[in-house]
Amino acid sequence: MFRILLLVFVLCPLLLSAQLKASDVDTFRLDNGMKFLVVEDFSIPNANMYLFYKVGSRNEYQGITGLSHFFEHMMFNGAKKYGPKEFDRVMEFNGGANNAYTTNDVTVYTDWFPAASTEVIFDLESDRIANLSIAPEMVESERGVVLSERRTGLENSPWRELIYLINGMAFMEHPYQWPVIGYEDDMKNWTQEDLEAYFETYYAPNNCVVVISGAITTEEVKKLAEQYMAPIPAQPSPPKVHITEPEQKGERRFTHYREVATPYMMISYHVPEATHEDYYALSLLSAVLSNGNSSRLYSSLVDDKQQVSQIGTLFDASFDPGLFTIYALASPEVNTEAIESGIYEEIEKILTEGITEEELQKVKNQKLIEFYQQIQTINGKSNNIGTYEVFFGDYAEMFNAPEAFNKVTQEEIKEVAQKYLTHQNKTVGIIRNQPEN
Amino acid sequence: MRSNIQHHIIFIGILFLTGNVLFAQSYTFPEYTSYQLENGLTINLMEQKEVPLISISALIPAGAVNDDTKPGIAYLTATALKHGTTNYSKEDIDKTLDFLGAEINTYAGKEFAGLEAGFISKDLDKVMPILAEIMTQPGFDAEELQKEKDRHLAGLERKKEQPRAVIGQFFDQLIYSDHQYGTITDGNLSSVQSITREDIREFFNEHYHPSKAVISIVGDFDLEAMKERMENYFGSWKGKEAESTSVDGLPELAESNQVLLVNKDDATETTFYIGGRGISRNNPDYLGIMVVNTFFGGRFTSMLNDELRVNSGLTYGARSRFDTMKEGGSFYISTFTATETTEAAMDKAIEVLKKLHDQGISEQDLTSARNYVKGQFPPRFETSGQLAGLLSEMFWYGFDESFINNFNTNVDQMTTEKVKEIISIYFPKDHLKIVMIGKATEIEGIAAKYGEVSKVEIESIIQ
Repeated sequence: MFRILLLVFVLCPLLLSAQLKASDVDTFRLDNGMKFLVVEDFSIPNANMYLFYKVGSRNEYQGITGLSHFFEHMMFNGAKKYGPKEFDRVMEFNGGANNAYTTNDVTVYTDWFPAASTEVIFDLESDRIANLSIAPEMVESERGVVLSERRTGLENSPWRELIYLINGMAFMEHPYQWPVIGYEDDMKNWTQEDLEAYFETYYAPNNCVVVISGAITTEEVKKLAEQYMAPIPAQPSPPKVHITEPEQKGERRFTHYREVATPYMMISYHVPEATHEDYYALSLLSAVLSNGNSSRLYSSLVDDKQQVSQIGTLFDASFDPGLFTIYALASPEVNTEAIESGIYEEIEKILTEGITEEELQKVKNQKLIEFYQQIQTINGKSNNIGTYEVFFGDYAEMFNAPEAFNKVTQEEIKEVAQKYLTHQNKTVGIIRNQPEN
Repeated sequence: MRSNIQHHIIFIGILFLTGNVLFAQSYTFPEYTSYQLENGLTINLMEQKEVPLISISALIPAGAVNDDTKPGIAYLTATALKHGTTNYSKEDIDKTLDFLGAEINTYAGKEFAGLEAGFISKDLDKVMPILAEIMTQPGFDAEELQKEKDRHLAGLERKKEQPRAVIGQFFDQLIYSDHQYGTITDGNLSSVQSITREDIREFFNEHYHPSKAVISIVGDFDLEAMKERMENYFGSWKGKEAESTSVDGLPELAESNQVLLVNKDDATETTFYIGGRGISRNNPDYLGIMVVNTFFGGRFTSMLNDELRVNSGLTYGARSRFDTMKEGGSFYISTFTATETTEAAMDKAIEVLKKLHDQGISEQDLTSARNYVKGQFPPRFETSGQLAGLLSEMFWYGFDESFINNFNTNVDQMTTEKVKEIISIYFPKDHLKIVMIGKATEIEGIAAKYGEVSKVEIESIIQ
């Protein structure tokens, strides 16, 4: 009997992913406002828990930049029942592993564990949400850790530095202007009080969406949620981020010197937030420009003209209006003006002629297979369901996405390109070697 | 809430005591069919009909160990496979695959070259003919090769910007010196410049043959029809008779500590490896070594991460790893720290290694490591791509599904006695081999403390 049961475990995952539909996601909300999304999936004897807190570097201000990310680290450093180090020790003893990430918009905690350990995970997570204890000596050693994280990121990647700089110039007022990791001087000066205030304000059950996928029933999740999470009191809603970045009225441009083999370049345009009606057209525009060797930018600048050795676009869902970025890595001996013109030529073609029907079908096909691949694993399911829930306001939007992409027309892609990829809306940043003399 | 504390402590105790009981469920490897074509090509087929995806993983004995006097040639050959074939130009290939949202990637590692593909099952008969020609009838277009070389040379130049991208290569040179395992897969500037289309054609003819290769396919297909396809597409693949990959015996290591100091003038941190010779993938103690390494440097609460990150804030992360190949391997501790804390971090890393030898692992810590290794195992084989990759690895390294099916049982058989033995046999203690990448003028004096120092510039890795 056991063997048959195990065989079912093995064969199910793909079946479930292929057929996963909105109605397979069970949802409930506790009285304290904590929302749960559950996908039962017995494909492997494991489960996960993804906790999405709606707090990121956009909730900071100068003086405490980087605090959201630092807080993410401090969440592992001891609470009431499980003291310093015990969160990780108990989790790993029970076969679980964890990680966490912070963005401009959200802080996400991820636990991966054998389904049999689910109760332990609830116990650990509820302990730190209810009763985080911020020990001063842990603050100091963890400060060293995040300073090392910042340093090693910059040391190993000029891209990292370029992104910091371009955000700083494209955003003059909105908090997307500082790096998630923070300014170095702020990092060295966060105080115990900053941390405590942050916890009070943002780490409330009503500011959290929990997603669980794996070999556990919704009924069981409900029982554990009631037992462990329901007693945690709700808090007043966090203050709204009220700053809107003013319209950019003219090109911005900078050069930064650093020892590099060839120049690194980014061109960023302001674009709207995830819930805006132009989101899907922009996402397809991004794919037309840079997805695969037959994409517009790759075939022209890498393959045909050989002006760059890498090129790509960045466009992500965000709470507030964000950036649509084109990045390029110069080939040796090619000047950056030529590369820039090459990129604008390709954009110009889309502005005037639009894209072909075949191109549109291509990027739609790519989006569909991407969707299948994302929900192939229980981790992909939780991450995507949670992301749609917090960024689009409803997890069900994830299941509408293939249809939403399908509806986009050639004309709409041309229109969003005309609307956003304009001269006055762009910021250009270049990292290159300091010229001699 | 305060009154709960007592209750909670008892609860933790119970969890520790019952650690093993929690893992009744385990993972069993799905059924698959394995056979050889007449030309010796090994085929693994695993039907997973419920999903509209197909994943393919192929391995060919054409890795960088065969580079000989032309470092980078295995890499360039593998990359150039996609530059057009008998019936498809590079543009045809790129356009067709992009339109379908299909992926075919080719690569070369040290020991083997490989191909990985993923696509929607309804496109099987559009993707398969392209894939088969990429593997068996590449055209090696001269113009595309020149472009590839230019891009690759630019990439080599950038390696000096990224200590973490090169430290493993410096370490391998220290561990293997002139042996084939010390080969740098992506080659160097002068070699890559000199490689011609004829060289690549010759390398292909010499090393891409079916008799020591494997293709594993997992996903939504019909077994019998796929067998027919494999015969059609690969049955006539000739290629010369394979010799077994001729990897020489590993050289003796110096019986002293050695430090390779790599200068990067603008460094603000020191990136370092500390280690020595490791094990081959087929070592009978492989699993036990992995369990011990999990405890030592393979997870968040590991001895290394606990000391270097959690207790002291010296780094964002510290870990250890056994890199295993067919005939040998290496072991290393890896981390990075601000230039000014270099000595503190190096001392600490060596102290933790000593502590592992002196104190071993307690019963409770061993239970924790076992639980962790078992608990994190099933998600490694969740997708068709992961399963295809595993089937090909089984072929290459010569293990079978019993590794998967007996995994939990074998992990559970690890005792503290066995752990002691494993530590003393496999974890280096003396004669440490060390690579430090950082600002030499600041750390030279510190380097000398750990052994005989040789000093190079970071650019030397591409020269």
